[in-house]
Parts: sequence; C-alpha cells; structure tokens
Amino acid sequence: MTISVSNLFVERSGKTVLRDVSFHIDKGEVYALLGGNGAGKSTTLLSLLGFIKPGKGQMHVLGENPETHPAKVRASVAYLPEAATLYPHLDAYENLEYFLGLAGFKVGQARLDEALDTVDLQQPARADRMESYSKGMRQKVAIALAVLRDAPVLLLDEPTSGLDPVAIDDFNRLVRSLAGDGRTILMVTHDVYGACQVANRIGLLRRGDMVGFFEAKAGQRIHTEHVHRAFAERAAV
Amino acid sequence: MNSMWLIAREEWRYWVRSRLARVSVLIFVGLIIASSLFSTLQTLDARHQRLHQQEVAEQTFLSQPARHPHRMVHYGHYAFRPPPPLAVFDPGIDVVTGQSIFLEGHRQNTAMFADARAQAKAGGFGILTPAMVYQILFPLLLIIIGHDIVAREREARTLAPLMGQGVTGITLYCGKALALLGLVGVLALPVLLVSVMSVLLGESIPAGLFLTLTYALFLTCWSALLLLVSFAFKTRGIILAVLMLFWLFGTLIIPRIAVATGDASFPTEGKILTDLRMKDDLREIGDGHNDADPTFSKLKAELLAQYNVGNVEDLPMNFRGVVASTAEARLTKTLNDYAEKRMERESRQSRIIRDFGALSPFLAVGHASKSIAGTDLKSHHRFLREAEVLRFGYVQALNEVHAGQIAYSDDINRSSDQGAEKRTRVDPENWRVLKQFRFETSGTNARLARAAPSLSFLTIWTLGLLGVGVLLARGASP
Ligand SMILES: Nc1ncnc2c1ncn2[C@@H]1O[C@H](COP(=O)(O)OP(=O)(O)OP(=O)(O)O)[C@@H](O)[C@H]1O
Ligand SMILES: [Mg+2]
Repeated sequence: MTISVSNLFVERSGKTVLRDVSFHIDKGEVYALLGGNGAGKSTTLLSLLGFIKPGKGQMHVLGENPETHPAKVRASVAYLPEAATLYPHLDAYENLEYFLGLAGFKVGQARLDEALDTVDLQQPARADRMESYSKGMRQKVAIALAVLRDAPVLLLDEPTSGLDPVAIDDFNRLVRSLAGDGRTILMVTHDVYGACQVANRIGLLRRGDMVGFFEAKAGQRIHTEHVHRAFAERAAV
Repeated sequence: MNSMWLIAREEWRYWVRSRLARVSVLIFVGLIIASSLFSTLQTLDARHQRLHQQEVAEQTFLSQPARHPHRMVHYGHYAFRPPPPLAVFDPGIDVVTGQSIFLEGHRQNTAMFADARAQAKAGGFGILTPAMVYQILFPLLLIIIGHDIVAREREARTLAPLMGQGVTGITLYCGKALALLGLVGVLALPVLLVSVMSVLLGESIPAGLFLTLTYALFLTCWSALLLLVSFAFKTRGIILAVLMLFWLFGTLIIPRIAVATGDASFPTEGKILTDLRMKDDLREIGDGHNDADPTFSKLKAELLAQYNVGNVEDLPMNFRGVVASTAEARLTKTLNDYAEKRMERESRQSRIIRDFGALSPFLAVGHASKSIAGTDLKSHHRFLREAEVLRFGYVQALNEVHAGQIAYSDDINRSSDQGAEKRTRVDPENWRVLKQFRFETSGTNARLARAAPSLSFLTIWTLGLLGVGVLLARGASP
C-alpha cells in the first residue's frame, strides 16, 4: 500500500471539512478523487503533504506519516497544486530549474525539453517569461515539473484544468504510462470521463464525506455512466 | 542549505527584473550618494576653515603690539572645533550646536554657529545628512522592496509548488533572510565607502568599521522585522500597514515622547531666570577692575599682613593684578558651576532619550552613530570644557603678568599720566602665554563605549525579531 488514509477528520477554520474519510492506493495505481466544489478534495491532498494537520485519523505515504514527517513525504511526492502558477518573471526553463533545484534535482536542458515535449508546450514559448502564458500553457509547465520530479508518488490537483481536449487526451496517456512505470498517482479532477479512462479506482466525495467508490475490474475500465449517475445522485453539492 | 541559496538567488533575480525594486534602489542610492557628496564637501571645507581660523586667531593674538595685559584679556581669542572625519556621515548634534567660541575675560560665551553660512549655501540640503537617509529613508526602501517578500508568493500561489518541493518554513525563512541580507550588504556600501574615506582622513579603522556595522545591524533589524511581519500576516495590505505603523512609531512618535520625557524629567529652568540668578551670584564676587571693591578688603588685609606692609603700594606685586586674578578665579568657579549644572541636565536628558532606544531602533542607531562619529553631546561638552580651560588659562596667565610686571602706582595713574601709561604696556613676548588649541575627537574606545548601550539595544531587537520570525516560519503553509 503506497498511500493509505483511514478515518481522517480535518477541520479548517473551525469547520469540519473531511469526515471519516478512508481509502488506499497501491503501487502503480491511479486513484481519482471526484466531488463538487468545496467537497474537500484539495484538503485531502494538502493533508497528505502535511500542510494541514488532521484532527483525527491515520495517513501514510510510502510508510511515512505526513503529520510527523512532512519533509520525508514531500521528498518522495511530486505535487501539482490546484491552479498552479509558477513565477511569472521567469521563463519555463528557469522555473523548472528553480523548482527542481529546490527538490535537489539538477536537470539538463535536453531533459527539460523532453518533458516540455511530453506536455506539448510549443517550442518558441519556452524561453518567454511565463507572465505571457495562457492558463493551459502554465498548467503544462506545472505538469512537466511534476513529471520531472521523477517521484514514486504523484498528487495532482485538477491537472487537466485549462487544457484543451487534445492536451487532455495526451495527459491521460501520460498518466497511464507513468502508472505503468510503477508510479502511484492520486488525482483530483472534475473530469468524469477522463477519470474513468485512467483510474483504477474512483472515490466520490461530498461535503467531506466519502459517498461512493468504484473499482475497475481487471483489464477493464470503470463505466463512465455509472460514475456520472452516482455523481449526480450523491455527490452534487 | 542549498535550497536556502536557491531561494535567496531567486529573490535577487526577481529584484533585478522588478522595475519597482530597480527604480527604488536607484532613487535611494542616488539620494545617499548626493547627500554624501554634499556632506563631504561641506564637512571638509568646514574642517579646513576652522583649522585655518584657529591658526589665524592664534597669529592675530600673538602679533598684538605692546599694551596693558588686561587689554589683551578683553581683546579675546577664539576656540574652533573642526568636525571629526566621520561627521561627513553623521554631523550629529553639531548642526545645532556652535562650533566656535569667543573667549574673553570675565565671561563664558556660548558657542556660535560657525557654519551657518555654509548651511545656507548648501540650500538646506545639508539638513539631509547621509545618516538621516540611512535612519529614516532606508527602512522605507526596505519596506517598498521587501514587504511582499512572502506575500507575493502567497498571492501568486507559488508557495504551494515551492513548499511542495520539500522546502520547509524555516528554509523559506532563511532563504528570504539571506536575500534581504544581500540587499543590506548592497545598501551598506555607501556607509562603508564614507567610512573608508574617513579612515583616509585620519579616523581610526575600528571607528569606521563600527559605524558601517552599526548601520548594517540597523538594516538587518529592519529586515528581521519585515520577515516577522511577512510570516505573521497573510495579506499584503496588512503587512504594509503594520510595517508603516512601526516606522511611524519608531521614527516619529517614540522620539517625540522620548524628548518630551527628557524635558519633563529634568526641566530646563527658563534662561532668563537662570541668568538673573547667575547675575546675583556674580555680583557677590565683586568687580575685578576695582580694587577698592569691599569684597576684596579681606584679601587686601591678608596680603598686607603676609608681607608685613601698611600700604598696597608697598606690596611686592601689583595689587590690581592680584584682584583681577582672584576675581577671575571666583567668577570662573561660579560660571563653571552653572555650566556644569546645565551640562549635567543636558546629559541626563540625552541619557533618557538614549534609553528610549530600547523602544525604537531608530533612536538606538541615531545615538550609536553620533557616539561613534564623535558628534554627540559628550563631544560637544568636552569642547566647551576644553575651550573654557583655554580661556581661563590665558586670562590668568595675563593676570599674572599684570600682577608681576606692572607697578601698582603706574597702574592706578595710567589714565592721567602718559609716562605711567607707557610703562604699563608690556612686551608682546608675554602674549605667548596663550596655549595652542587643537580640538581632538575622543579616542575610539571611549566613543565605542558610549555607543555600546545603543548597539546592545539594536542587537537585542534584531535577535528578538529573528527569533519570533523563525518561530512563526516553522508553521508556515501555502
Ligand atoms: N484556506 C482555507 N481556510 C478555511 N477553509 C478553507 C480553506 N480552503 C478551503 N476551505 C474550506 O474547506 C472545504 C473544502 O475545500 P477544498 O478546497 O478542499 O475543496 P475542493 O473539493 O478542492 O473544491 P474545488 O473543487 O472547488 O477545488 C470548503 O468548505 C472550503 O470552504
Ligand atoms: Mg480544490
């Protein structure tokens, strides 16, 4: 079990935003967390990174408790924050070099280009300052950063937000191949179709409660209609 | 460690690319360069002028023709105070105290503004000293550039990817602190340059070094405050407001309170009242020009008895000279008592203001800076005392000539008898009793010792702010 969450309670500003949440993810699996706005999806990721201290419950990432050893957890996790923005005064290369440097990585230009190719960021824009990027272009660089971290665990908060349909398909393929390499991926998304395409399991959150759970049968995908219906019936805000 | 460097370097790159940071550093550094240049020219000119005027005054005194020594007592002399080398950076209280004193018999004149004209010539620019730019304006520059050092990342949502890479709150704090220290290093360059120049002009190396360190410490203290507030509050507006309030209190409000407290604790008696009381005291001493003044009858009786003669004419010395000398000694004692009382009161007031440095880093740096530069109240008082020693010395030496070289009978008849008048003129060689006067800045150790309390206030402030800042940073989250 790479990630396990059991009976997690979290309060933010005195309000309980996660209530008795439990799930686990095995190595090489993709887990998609679905839910309406304010359901507590981002909060779950922030708790797993140790940025938010839970009120009750147990969490483990690669055997480490993020509450007590956040540094160890963050070192082995590539985290893509919600609405990620990198530094507007730096270009894509400079941003990637800087953030990778902070994580202790030194990566050559060729490897950077390779990652930016993977996310399909147009070549001419790469040396421009990111203040001139569109939302989707910024998102692509942030995804490239998560990929370049080369971490065993990826926590992705709405990675496809802002991406065009082609880029979303590319991204979903990328996620599958990363999982195929043995990486464990927890992904928060509003894209039910995409989630069904890539996830081995899907959890449904509603106002802090786990209200649904889907698991792909061996060699099959989760049915989009099932999830859709469940979402509409149980998870809508 | 590596992350800390990366964060600091990134901050520097941001400042280099940020128009606001570039332009404001340029403006403030331009300001400090302009004010340093002005101050240097003005101070060097004043130094040169006053050393020159001191020599001229001595020459003039020595080249006076033969005359009655008491006329030389009234002819008078000047004591000049050349500014110390570091006055280039911090003229301290010298801009409001006099730099030259007219010395004459039976009076202690107040020091005059020697450079009032120079100030006027500088078009008032002389008021904005380099020290003031550092003490008042550089904190504002730090606020402009650094108030959003964390808030900017929070607003731009770059704190999450940053901390997601494993950067802890402490590392973030240290990286930003290092970035600010780099800025402090750049901002300390002008004071370092002025210090080096002062050393070339004769200032001691430790004094120059400590002046630079004092300002570096002051700016570090401000950086520590910036960081603390940045980690304590999340929004730019609140951070800015807290910093500006701190600046307002430290720079404007607490100093006012300090001065008011000093005045209230040791009130300055009205000048007219003091003058009246002093006049009363002086009247009892008697007029030294009139040997028939009843206050001197006891002196007369004692002398007559001592030399066993019946008449003052038969004394082996000129009784009028003795009276002049005795009167001068008594009068000087009274004047000195009043002067010492006034200086004691001023010192107490200034100590109270110094102690308010515990509440305001601005006051602390100001006091430390003046003390190290030798432009503080203590230095001014020493000048007054040394000038008084010079005055009393030459006046009494001339009175001795008066008593020893002029016959009493000639002295009393000199207004009616031309021959007697001629004989009361003594040789100009006697004017050599005037001592050479060159006012020197206090020794480095004495100045550093005076700065020590304020330097410890600054150090405590800085360490305290750093400590609380680190505590807050530990729990930092995106
Ligand atoms: N910084 C914060 N302080 C206090 N409460 C917060 C904060 N951020 C979120 N919350 C609250 O926590 C709850 C869960 O928020 P969370 O961001 O986890 O939702 P989400 O599922 O990610 O929603 P979305 O799909 O809109 O991103 C919400 O009720 C929200 O009001
Ligand atoms: Mg969210």
